Amino acid sequence: MNPTITNSKNEPAVILRGVAKRFGAVQAVRHLDLEVERGSLVGLLGPNGAGKSTAIRMIMSLIRQDSGELRVLGGDALDVKDRIGYLPEERGLYRRMRVGEFLFYLGRLKGLPRQGLNSRVESWLERIELPGVFRSRCQELSKGMQQKVQFIGAVLHEPDLIVLDEPFSGLDPVNARVLISVVQDLHREGRTIFLSTHQMAQAEQLCERVVLINRGEKILDSTTQEVTQRFSPRAVEIEPLAGIHAARSALEAIPGIESVQTAEDGRTAVMLVNDQTDLHAVMSLALAAVPCRRIEIARVSLDDVFVRLVTEHGGHARQPVRGAA
Amino acid sequence: MIPTDRSRGFRFSRIATIAWREFRHTVLTKGFILGAIIFPVIMFVIIGVMPLLISNEQVPVRGTIVVVDSDGSVARAMENAFQQLKKPGDAGNGLSAADVSDALKKTQSGDLAALEDFTDIAITVDVTVLRMSIDDDLKEIKEQVQSGKLLAIIEIPAVLLTADPAIGIDISLLVPSNSPAKTTALFARIARRATVVARVEQTGTDLAKAMALVREPQTETARLTNAGVQAKENTQLRFLIPGGFMMLMWIAAFTSANQLLTTTIEEKSSKVIEVLLSATSPLELLAGKILGQGFVSLLMLSTYGAAGIAGLAFLTMLDIVPLSSLILFFLWFLLAYFMVAAIMAAVGSAVSDLREAQSLVQPAMIVMMIPLFLWLPISENPTGWLATITSFVPPIGPFVMVLRSTGAVEPIPSWHIGIALAVNGFSTIALVWIASRVFRIGVLMQGKPPTPMELLRWARAR
Repeated sequence: MNPTITNSKNEPAVILRGVAKRFGAVQAVRHLDLEVERGSLVGLLGPNGAGKSTAIRMIMSLIRQDSGELRVLGGDALDVKDRIGYLPEERGLYRRMRVGEFLFYLGRLKGLPRQGLNSRVESWLERIELPGVFRSRCQELSKGMQQKVQFIGAVLHEPDLIVLDEPFSGLDPVNARVLISVVQDLHREGRTIFLSTHQMAQAEQLCERVVLINRGEKILDSTTQEVTQRFSPRAVEIEPLAGIHAARSALEAIPGIESVQTAEDGRTAVMLVNDQTDLHAVMSLALAAVPCRRIEIARVSLDDVFVRLVTEHGGHARQPVRGAA
Repeated sequence: MIPTDRSRGFRFSRIATIAWREFRHTVLTKGFILGAIIFPVIMFVIIGVMPLLISNEQVPVRGTIVVVDSDGSVARAMENAFQQLKKPGDAGNGLSAADVSDALKKTQSGDLAALEDFTDIAITVDVTVLRMSIDDDLKEIKEQVQSGKLLAIIEIPAVLLTADPAIGIDISLLVPSNSPAKTTALFARIARRATVVARVEQTGTDLAKAMALVREPQTETARLTNAGVQAKENTQLRFLIPGGFMMLMWIAAFTSANQLLTTTIEEKSSKVIEVLLSATSPLELLAGKILGQGFVSLLMLSTYGAAGIAGLAFLTMLDIVPLSSLILFFLWFLLAYFMVAAIMAAVGSAVSDLREAQSLVQPAMIVMMIPLFLWLPISENPTGWLATITSFVPPIGPFVMVLRSTGAVEPIPSWHIGIALAVNGFSTIALVWIASRVFRIGVLMQGKPPTPMELLRWARAR
């Protein structure tokens, strides 16, 4: 039994307690606990079909959880729609509508006043590097441009909470960078941002905290820094000037070194260090023993953590759920 | 998938925004402007202008026809007829406008022209009749007809001129291949009547008296109502007016409801629905869409209705559609539209494309076609048991009530109107409620279309 959520002004922007959702025979989300602090930037990670979009749709009150408790901005998402911005995974626009008109329409639905709305739309189009498309029809835009238009639709009304479902998928690196920069700006403005992605590099770059789910279950919930530390391989990477072959015996002789492996590039040696030895001490000894081009403590990437955890928890997710949009 | 209860946070400004978009993007399209406004306008213009164009394009009938009869009596009668039909100002016809007018007025007195109403002949007629005997060789004459030198050759078999004319023997009329249809019809009419005149004259009977004796008098029917008022009968209008009103309502309601179905499916298939649902509730979305298309429907109704009322005013026949009928008509329209729109919106939300929609809409369409089949029997007897019972059966009740209220001479009993309003009003509310339940689930569903049982389950879902 989960404790009942009490209402307070400082409560997290999103709270999920034991939330579960089933579609027929498929358990899309199981007993999910999650909190998104106000003003934070949290990433919801997971392989395809892990239950990310289902969780987000429940947060948006588009679908109702079978069990568990869920609060958004201190209440139900239905009551605070105007304070939430949402970019769904399934992109959609009125194809024949003009871009400016479409965004004006969404702005009005979000309760923005008519006055000044068009200039607000134009300003956002400039900000997101889409100048001159105000009068273009949506169907005339490229897929990436359409995605950016939809992004504006999610943030035009300056919401407190921004929920983005796979915001960068399908974008080329240039457009992805533009969107990342805007997301960072919005975060700096104090808005709470909750985004789902399966692109680890972007999550690593953006998120303060990551929540990893697989097969509808949470398998990781930690700050990005904690993840890096927790999954650190305790290794030092060194690129000897004379080559790995010549330096290997000297490196293996350093106290605390368990083994020396060759990295994929063929030039870098990875020294695995035991738990009792300080990594910085190993670096000093290695520098003294072997002239090198580069030496650093090995870092774990979110990508590595993702693969490792997902593999440990039974591999990739099931087939995507049918029935739910 | 059961969505949450979305009745909270219901905001009319959102509904108005959605309704306005729906209205604007339906009305301000080439298809609508062309189909709902320009097309009727063009039709009215064509109906008004076409007779003028036709009358101005008449080719004068000038030339010679050859009449082959046994004793020349038909040829004489035809010559006489063509003389009377000559237009004033035609060279050599010797008739003034007044003469022609008199000739046509003689329709009351039994002259040849009077045997049939020739007042519709708006062409210049200047025909010389050349009589030939049945013994003459017609080969050369037929060649002249073929080449267009002669207008026609008409052969009257002698057996048609006896006191006991043969049945199954026809007059032969040969015309050139390019002879205008109206000219050919004129020759045929005059030949037939001239034959009758010749036949009557041979018996020595006074033609005028004979015609006066056989002419059927006209009837002027009036219906004596319970209030003791004699309502003048106009058989054609008694059928046309209710049918016109019912069709107008049917077309207006179905065009917009169909548009509702299409736009809902489009929003689902283009995935824009989830964006909309992040800003509004399904109930607000449904309400906005139904209202928006309702205004489109009202616009169509106003356009066509105003044209119809203008037409009646032009014919000074406005009295046949009293104001009370128009007010009731508006009420019945609202009920009909909301019922049809609710059905279409629910179906549109449950399917992914138009093809899937057809299988779900078909049963409803069959029911909605019933008023079209009931038009004649209900117009015939607007207060009968069939009309009374079907008035209380939703969703066809409003259509039947329109047929009844615009077609009945006797006022419809007020309790009929009251019960019909109550039953159909309640059914409208129920249908809209069910549609909203189906809509909130259907709009987010993808994959195979639901079965009717699944739709019922959606409607009952908490």
